[in-house]
Amino acid sequence: MTEAAWWAVARSEEISADKPHNVDIGDQPVVLWRDDKKVVRALEDRCPHRRAPLSLGCILGNGAIQCGYHGWTYDGASGQLIDIPNLKSDRKFPPVYKARPFAVHEDAGFVRVCLDAKAAAPAPDDRVLPLSGTSIVALDHEHWIAALFDDPSLVLSIKGVRFSPYLLTELSEQQGKLVLERSCQWASPHWPAPFTSDFPISLRIATDPVTGETDLTLLDDEFRALFRAVLAPVPAARGVTQVRWRAALSPGRHHLMAKAMGIGTPFRVFDHVDGAALRVLKPSASIHASDLRESIVTRKSGPPTAQEAAA
Amino acid sequence: MLDVQDNPAPEVHDDPIAVDPRQFAAKVNSWLPHDIMLTDAWFPLAHSFAVAKKPIRRAVYSHPYFIWRKPDGSLVAAETHPNDQLAAKKSEYTDEAGHYPVIEKYGYVWGWLGKPENAAPEHIPSIPYLPEDGGLPLHMLGTVRFDCCAPLSLENLIDLTHADFIHADVVGDEKMDKETVEVFHDSETITMVRTCVNKSVAPIMKIFGGVRDDVQQVRQVIRIYLRSHAAIAYGRFSPGDNVQLFHPCVPETRDRTRLDYAMNTSNVKKTNLFRYMMPKASYKVSRQDSSMTSPQSPRYMRPEKRKDLHSPLDEAGQKYRVLMLALAERQARGDFTYRDNVSSDCSDIIGYEKA
Repeated sequence: MTEAAWWAVARSEEISADKPHNVDIGDQPVVLWRDDKKVVRALEDRCPHRRAPLSLGCILGNGAIQCGYHGWTYDGASGQLIDIPNLKSDRKFPPVYKARPFAVHEDAGFVRVCLDAKAAAPAPDDRVLPLSGTSIVALDHEHWIAALFDDPSLVLSIKGVRFSPYLLTELSEQQGKLVLERSCQWASPHWPAPFTSDFPISLRIATDPVTGETDLTLLDDEFRALFRAVLAPVPAARGVTQVRWRAALSPGRHHLMAKAMGIGTPFRVFDHVDGAALRVLKPSASIHASDLRESIVTRKSGPPTAQEAAA
Repeated sequence: MLDVQDNPAPEVHDDPIAVDPRQFAAKVNSWLPHDIMLTDAWFPLAHSFAVAKKPIRRAVYSHPYFIWRKPDGSLVAAETHPNDQLAAKKSEYTDEAGHYPVIEKYGYVWGWLGKPENAAPEHIPSIPYLPEDGGLPLHMLGTVRFDCCAPLSLENLIDLTHADFIHADVVGDEKMDKETVEVFHDSETITMVRTCVNKSVAPIMKIFGGVRDDVQQVRQVIRIYLRSHAAIAYGRFSPGDNVQLFHPCVPETRDRTRLDYAMNTSNVKKTNLFRYMMPKASYKVSRQDSSMTSPQSPRYMRPEKRKDLHSPLDEAGQKYRVLMLALAERQARGDFTYRDNVSSDCSDIIGYEKA
C-alpha cells in the first residue's frame, strides 16, 4: 500500500461524532470519527493495549476515542493515550503509549486518509456533487479498475446510457492521470453500435494511477457535460473494494434522454459484479494500465531534483 | 491443390522481403501490430455525405479529428471541438490554427496524420472503381466497426482462406478444384491475387444474384495501402457479378478499427437484387470477422515467446507483417518518404475490368 497516497475512505456524511466508523486501506484497518469540533480523526483501528478494534468503542464528549474493552482513551490528532480510567490518577503516559495516527483531509464531500501522518494536504477540491453512495464489491481494486476501463457496464450504470465497445481515445496519460474516452449511445431504439457512424455521447474516464480515484464525465457530441461523478475505489481486506462516489447532473441538458436522467436514480455503482461476464471480458483498454501506472509513479518518485539534492 | 507463386519486387537493396529466410521468419514472428503507428498518411475518415456544418468526430491513433464544412463547402479538420473545455495541447500534426490537412476524393474525406508540410494529394491511394468525385448512392456505403487492431483486421482480410470458413454462408465454402495464390509488393503496398477453379458458388450470389450453377471461377484481389491501412477488395466471379469493395481500416485507437466502406455495385443490373443486398452483407460479414479478431487482438499486444505457426497460404499475411514492420522501422529512423507511388492507377495490377 502506498504510504503517500490519499485515499477517499468515506463520504463526509458517513462520519459522525456519535459512533466510530471502521474502514480499511488494504490490510490496514482505520477508525474514523468526528471530534468535539467536528474535525474528522483517523487512527489505526487497534488499541495498543490488547489489540481490540477502537471502532467498537465510543466517542467521548471531549472528542477523544475510548476503547470499548478496558477504556483506554486516545487523542484523535496525535493518537496519544490520554486516560486509563481505572488508574484513577493524573499520571502522564510515556510518548510510546499511543495509537498510530493517520493524516486526514476532508473536502468535496469525501474524507481522505493518508497512512503517512505527516503527509502534506492534497490539493483543495471545491466541487459540489450532491448525489452520493457507497458500494462494497467482492472484487479486488486492480481488477475493479480494469473492469471500469474495459467495460463500465459491469461495475456501474448511468441512467439511459449504453456503453459501446468503441473508444475515441485509448488509455493514455494526461496530466498525470490515466485517461480514456468511450463512445456511448442512449438506451433508446438505435442502430447497433458496431454499425454506428457517429455516437451521440461519450464517457471520459480519468483515473489516478495510484488510488484509482476516477473522474467520470458524460459529454454530448457538442462537448457539453451532461453528468459528472467521482468514484473512489479503495482496496479493503480480503480483496474487497470499497467504492464511494459522488455525482451531479449538469443543468440545461438538451436531449430528451439527457433530460430523463433527472427522473429517479441517475447513477449506480454495483455491489456485485457478474462473474460470468467478467471472466470472458476481453482485456483491451486496461492492458497497458499497469505500464502507464508504473511510468507515472516512477516519474513522480524519480531521482531528486538538483534543488532537493542540495537541500 | 494449392500453388503459391512469389512475385518479388524489382531488386532493390533494402527490400525487406528479399532478405535471408531466417531474418524474414524472425520479422514475421516479431509481429506486434499494436505497437505499429504509421504516420505521413492519408486516412479516409468519413464518407463525404456525412460531413456537414455540424462537426463530426473521428480519431486516428487516438488523435481527435473534428470535421465540418464551412458555408462555402470547404472542409475543416481540427484537433479540438469549438466547445471543448478540456482541449489538450496542440498536436505536432496540426498547423498553427490546430487544423490537419484535409482533402476530398472518391467520396471520402481524407485526413492527413503526419507532418503537415508533407501532405500531398499524390499520397492518396488509387481506387480504380470509385468515382473520383464520389456520388455513389447511400445504399452502397456503410460503417462497421471492429474492436481489434487495424493491422490484424487487414491481415485477416488478406488471407481469404478465412472467408471459406467464417463467411461460408455468404461467400461460399472451401470446396474447389484448385487454388492459386500470388503475392506482389512494393514498399507501400501489398497485393494478393487468389484464383479458384470450380469453387462452390457464393450463397449470396445464388440467393440474390441469380447464379444457378453449382460452381464458379473466382479471381479475388486484395491490395493493401500499408500506411493508410486501406484495402481494395476486388473479385471477379464467373458466372456472377464482379465485387468492388473499398475496405479502409482506420485505426481509431491501437485496438479499435473503423471501416467506412464503399461497395460499388453499379456494375450490377438495376433489376438484380444483388446490387442492393451485397453492400449490406458487410453487416453480417463484419460480425463474423469480429468474432475472431476481437479475442485475437489482445493476444498480439505483448511480445510472446511462442511463435505463430504458418502455412504456405499465409504468405501474403507474412509479407504484410514484414512490410509494415519495415515501414515502421523506417519511420522510426526519421525516413517518411514514399518510395513508391500509391496514387498511380492500379487497374492493371488488380485486373480491373472497366464496365
